[in-house]
Amino acid sequence: MPKNRSRSIRLKVWGQNACFTRPEMKVERVSYDVMTPSAARGVLEAILWKPAICWRITQVDVLKPIQWESVRRNEVGAVASTDLAITAMKNNRGNLCLYVEDERQQRAGLILRDVVYTIHAYFEITEKAGPEDSITKFEEMFLRRAEKGQCFNTPYLGCREFSAGFEPIRDEASLPEPADVTRDLGWMLYDMDFTAKEPTARFFHASLEKGVLKVPPHDSKEVRG
Amino acid sequence: MILQSLAKYYDRLADEGVVVPEGFKQVGIPFLLFLNQKGEFTGLQDTRTQSGKKLVARTFVVPEERERSGSRAWQTANLLWDHYGYVLAWPKSNTEKDKEMAKKQHRTFLAEVKKLNDKYPDDKEIGAVYRFLSTEDFSAVFSHPLWRECAKIPGCKLTFCIEGLNCLVCENENVKAFISSTISQVSDNEDAENTLPDTESVCLITGERGPVARLHPRTPILGTKSNAKIVSFQKNMGFDSYGKQQSYNAPVSKKTAFAYTTALNQMLARDSRQKLLVGDGTIVFWAEKKSVLEDVFADIFGEPAKENPEQINQGIRTLFEAPKSGAPPLDEDYTRFYVLGLAPNVARIAIRFWYQGTVGELAKNIKQHFDDCNIAHGPKESQHLSIFRLLVSTAMQGESKNIQPNLTGDMMKSILSGTPYPKTLLSSVIRRIRAEREITYPRASLIKAVLVRDARYYKKNGKEVGMSLDHANTNHGYLLGRLFAVLERAQERANPGIDATIRDRFYGAASCTPVIAFPHLLKLKNHHIAKLENKGEAVNLEKQIGEIMEKVVDFPPHLGLHDQSKFAIGYYHQRQDFFRKRD
Repeated sequence: MPKNRSRSIRLKVWGQNACFTRPEMKVERVSYDVMTPSAARGVLEAILWKPAICWRITQVDVLKPIQWESVRRNEVGAVASTDLAITAMKNNRGNLCLYVEDERQQRAGLILRDVVYTIHAYFEITEKAGPEDSITKFEEMFLRRAEKGQCFNTPYLGCREFSAGFEPIRDEASLPEPADVTRDLGWMLYDMDFTAKEPTARFFHASLEKGVLKVPPHDSKEVRG
Repeated sequence: MILQSLAKYYDRLADEGVVVPEGFKQVGIPFLLFLNQKGEFTGLQDTRTQSGKKLVARTFVVPEERERSGSRAWQTANLLWDHYGYVLAWPKSNTEKDKEMAKKQHRTFLAEVKKLNDKYPDDKEIGAVYRFLSTEDFSAVFSHPLWRECAKIPGCKLTFCIEGLNCLVCENENVKAFISSTISQVSDNEDAENTLPDTESVCLITGERGPVARLHPRTPILGTKSNAKIVSFQKNMGFDSYGKQQSYNAPVSKKTAFAYTTALNQMLARDSRQKLLVGDGTIVFWAEKKSVLEDVFADIFGEPAKENPEQINQGIRTLFEAPKSGAPPLDEDYTRFYVLGLAPNVARIAIRFWYQGTVGELAKNIKQHFDDCNIAHGPKESQHLSIFRLLVSTAMQGESKNIQPNLTGDMMKSILSGTPYPKTLLSSVIRRIRAEREITYPRASLIKAVLVRDARYYKKNGKEVGMSLDHANTNHGYLLGRLFAVLERAQERANPGIDATIRDRFYGAASCTPVIAFPHLLKLKNHHIAKLENKGEAVNLEKQIGEIMEKVVDFPPHLGLHDQSKFAIGYYHQRQDFFRKRD
């Protein structure tokens, strides 16, 4: 195993609802059928992340059959203004509020219901690591935090409002059995590539084999962007 | 998956020749200008035919319409077809302004044809059109007897046809080649303000690299504005991410955007048999390959037309009879079938639900639904009820706009996937029954379907309800319903022609809180039965009451929702039994 790569880590996550929003249907949300590698990375980073490490997802197991739910929610149609924020910072005072009554918009969503996944991932040490940072240190830190339920922010499944519960799986023997679902999922969002000039979306062809979604390595040709 | 399946459907439609190639569109053109080879005007033809009360123009395949709006609209002309302002400089009205405008429009139109003529100088048809237009003298056209009809239609569209040839000038080979070559260069339909060069990116539907569509073509459905789309991002409304604007947020190549929207619009077209209007939303459905289910789906789920009330039954029979040609029975058909439920939201379209499965699964589930709904009914009632009739029985005043918003989509989904009906369905029906104090055939059918399906899905051990009166059912809700029906019957027979029976006064109390209503009702029935002249009938009624009361232990203080539904069914079954012809 190369020196800067950790061993494979497995985490079980579950939630009442999930919405891994498709980029093309972001306004009236429609979820992907299965957790995207990007969302899986988000869950892991919520538990432990330092500039020294970089998470890579290898596999996602779907443990419960895919079920949908259609909801309509009131949201707002505006974002907080960066200009106002900058002015407020400069002047030490300002008006940053957003009046919900004026901006209210109802958006429909086709979201997932009752989801449980097992995320298989490893992390790499980046060049921002210091002299005392070692692989074992972070492995142990992660497993400890996952065991205790410690996190920087509550991990979520796609959208912030869908909080996830999590639990590490320490050994191969207790790996839960995936649900028996086999289908082609089409092109799925792999992740955003932040190293390019502008953040670009990258896609890969996803398919579920007996409940297992294999995620190609980030630098392979199967990931197009 | 949704857009990908739509794009694949476009390929199937293109193979079958149902859709027009890219760059072209089907437009209704009411009048044709006939020219001879030399470019002289020879005649005008009216293509309209009577359709109901209106005259409908024949549709032709012509180069795609170019979007134009605002004060500079006259600078954009369609190629080889347009309205009479562009083609003949015929003004909208007699004012100076309109005459000027028409002249400007005509000049643009002429310039477009000139471009085409310069590219293909040897093409006789294009040459003839160009010669005709450059004479600038259209008096021959205006003096033609049919011209007045044409001028009456505001913005009447015109195109050219060369005498002796069967097709329009715009359908000839050179024009087609010209269009295909300019597709990628010509800016998007609504992209008049796009000044940026095309960005290239990986298409998220096909995975191929290609120029990205900034705006997707429109796919309006009933209830939305005419520019509604599935994929759209308003600027500065919080839908943009990572600094990207509009559809660059979701890179889809122009070719694929055209493909999936054309396939969708094809299904949403006015006379399409592949769409259903249910509640406030639209449902479209299609199969991977030609399948009998596509034809029959609309019959089964749609509202039967007035001329053909037996439509549903025929549809179901077609679906389930083994085809005589020896093809495998539908249950084993593995052709993929897709159903997409869309809901309007002003200028956006929301996806209500998405179902993908095989024709076999779907046929099985549809059959299951109708089996579940089967209940005894009067002889004049139809054997099977459409979804629309079932749902409308839960709505206030029977108006489809009063059906609960998500109920239609959820119910369709549960029928297609064979899962239990939405819980709100049962409570809506019971609420309607309480409010209107009437258990109609659709309502009883719905209740029975919900109870039967729940029992099967959750493997409950309680007795399900059957299709007709079940003397052995000991569920206390069911028994009390039956009792109520018999007591009402006694009152009706004692006072023939009565308007308001105990059902109008006591149904609510009897079904929710039996302990309050029934003792009083049993006291009343003594008076009713005493009034009966036919003693034999009196004895029969007492016997029936006795038979039911045998199994009733006591009157519960409260009946839950499920028992209230059984009450309704018991009442309905007993009533049907009274009216059943004794054979």
